[in-house]
Amino acid sequence: MSVLHVGDRVVARVAARAARAVPGVVALRPDLTQALLGIAGTVFGQERGPLSADGASAVVEGGHAEVSLTVVARLGHNCRDLAAAVQRAVTAEVAAYTGLDVLVRVTIADVLIEGPRSGGP
Amino acid sequence: MALDAFPPGLSPEDQIEPLACGRDAADVWDHAADGVPDEHERSCPHCAAAIADARGLDGIVHRMADEVPPPPPSLVDTVMEAVLNTVTAELRPQDLLALYSPAGPARLSRPAAARVLRHVVDRMDGMRARSCRIEQDGLALSVAITVTARFGVDLASVTARVRQMVVAAGKQALGTPVARVDITVVDLWEER
Repeated sequence: MSVLHVGDRVVARVAARAARAVPGVVALRPDLTQALLGIAGTVFGQERGPLSADGASAVVEGGHAEVSLTVVARLGHNCRDLAAAVQRAVTAEVAAYTGLDVLVRVTIADVLIEGPRSGGP
Repeated sequence: MALDAFPPGLSPEDQIEPLACGRDAADVWDHAADGVPDEHERSCPHCAAAIADARGLDGIVHRMADEVPPPPPSLVDTVMEAVLNTVTAELRPQDLLALYSPAGPARLSRPAAARVLRHVVDRMDGMRARSCRIEQDGLALSVAITVTARFGVDLASVTARVRQMVVAAGKQALGTPVARVDITVVDLWEER
């Protein structure tokens, strides 16, 4: 019999991808380490693709995972509903992909107030 | 609206300051939303200001939600943003407000919440927000906001208008009940 173990990084990437797809989430905000690595990666020409785990971290223990996400929201999306929507989307996606039972912590670090100007000059 | 979704006992209850004409700003907003302003509300300047506030918040909230997301940032923007984030974005635990969520722990940056409330007050006719301090007890917020008013704006209605705007923005934009709003008018300005 063999057992599949899923690593922290895998869960973080799946979580980040699911969170970014939630309407009203502008971006995930990287923590200090991720931001510095991101700068280094950009300088050295590394692509940060759609599976970037920036803004997400995860700890897997047994069949359970704890995910922490830091997101930037857009004004006009109710922050409370947005946080709950992110939690539901991430829980479902991580469970579907990895089979893990997940607790999702969401922090809305910023609310984007001025959007792009609509219409041309 | 979404107020029903709050846990029981958290709807904003307060000594409600009426508009200068004696009407309750929340009632005026409700009538405007339902499209049934009464005789008095159609002709009263105080009620008209409150109705304009309601339309303003509605415009801000729904227009922003409908806007298309910005294009992905360029390389330079990405680097600059990462550097700025590194410097400025480390959130301390005391900078966070709790959000009600049945799906797990959820928090909102206190400075971001204050920026949203200042923004909605800034968009009111004749008002500009200066500072905004937010405290939280349980889930309910206490907001202390200082404003400047355009000379000629009816100061007697300012409390009711700003209070209503902040309570509504708390409900619609933040998703957190605002139990108390303290408003200080700190200065006047004149439009040229």
